[in-house]
Amino acid sequence: MESKHVHQQIAAMRQSFFDEEVLDEKFSQLEQLEGKDNPNFVEEVFTMYFRDSTAFLETIEQAMKTIPIDSIKVDNILHQLKGSSASVGANKVLKEVNKTRQVLGKGNLEGTKAGILELRKEYDSFKAKLEPYFQKLKQANSVAQEK
Amino acid sequence: MAPTLPSSDQASDQDNWDNGRLARKRQLLIEIVLRNKLTALVVDGDTTCRVLEQLLLRSYGVQTQGVDNGRDAVALIASGVKFDLIIIDMILPVLNGLEATRQIRDMGVHCKMLGVTICSGESERQVFLAAGVDVFIEKPLDPEHLVPILRELDGQ
Repeated sequence: MESKHVHQQIAAMRQSFFDEEVLDEKFSQLEQLEGKDNPNFVEEVFTMYFRDSTAFLETIEQAMKTIPIDSIKVDNILHQLKGSSASVGANKVLKEVNKTRQVLGKGNLEGTKAGILELRKEYDSFKAKLEPYFQKLKQANSVAQEK
Repeated sequence: MAPTLPSSDQASDQDNWDNGRLARKRQLLIEIVLRNKLTALVVDGDTTCRVLEQLLLRSYGVQTQGVDNGRDAVALIASGVKFDLIIIDMILPVLNGLEATRQIRDMGVHCKMLGVTICSGESERQVFLAAGVDVFIEKPLDPEHLVPILRELDGQ
């Protein structure tokens, strides 16, 4: 019964990510790359993504505090964040990256600062949602493997 | 001691869980069987992208290597290592993807080169094709674009 409840919770969490458009179909494609040999593959990918993206955001935030602002450096890092976010299906994070890049591309530095604040909010919210999901998933997979 | 079988309730929960995941896989997976052993080089400065691209290729049975900058890609090719396919990002550290592609082609390498980039404008496409890639794909790399290329390389 407990196992069924956990599985239902996980399924509901997962569905909510798609309903809220936090994740897109790229996430589903990642899930299909999981196999018996690498049952926690998606979680490992997201651990890597969160590690690198946190560092990217911190670098961007630091770069925006320097005078003069190195717009090329900021854009290059946003570009990387765009690529990795698209690769894992982080839909809303990707949208904020795109918005910020557009504003930066027009030379609007104040707008870029505001965009980066929104990006940071969205990213932190995304991380706060996905990490508990993967913890539950890992627990459910461990229990399944013990049986 | 004989192993105990799970109760029917537990077995059906686990079955439902596995079947749900399998159903999702069947919906999305484009299955192909490669007759030949193909090799690919993935050149991407972003770790997440590079790992995922390599994993996607490996899921189809392609042997892959990955490097994270254009200079290492050129050096690897110059050392004589051959690949059936090179997947290269336009924006790379140290040596960018455009220049790395030109240098690889200047070495006389004729293998299939797939240019990928998160920027999907026509100008980016034209510049990358002019540098020497055969195909230009917007990131992220997906089975829909990759599978026809693998089939072609496999002679299917």
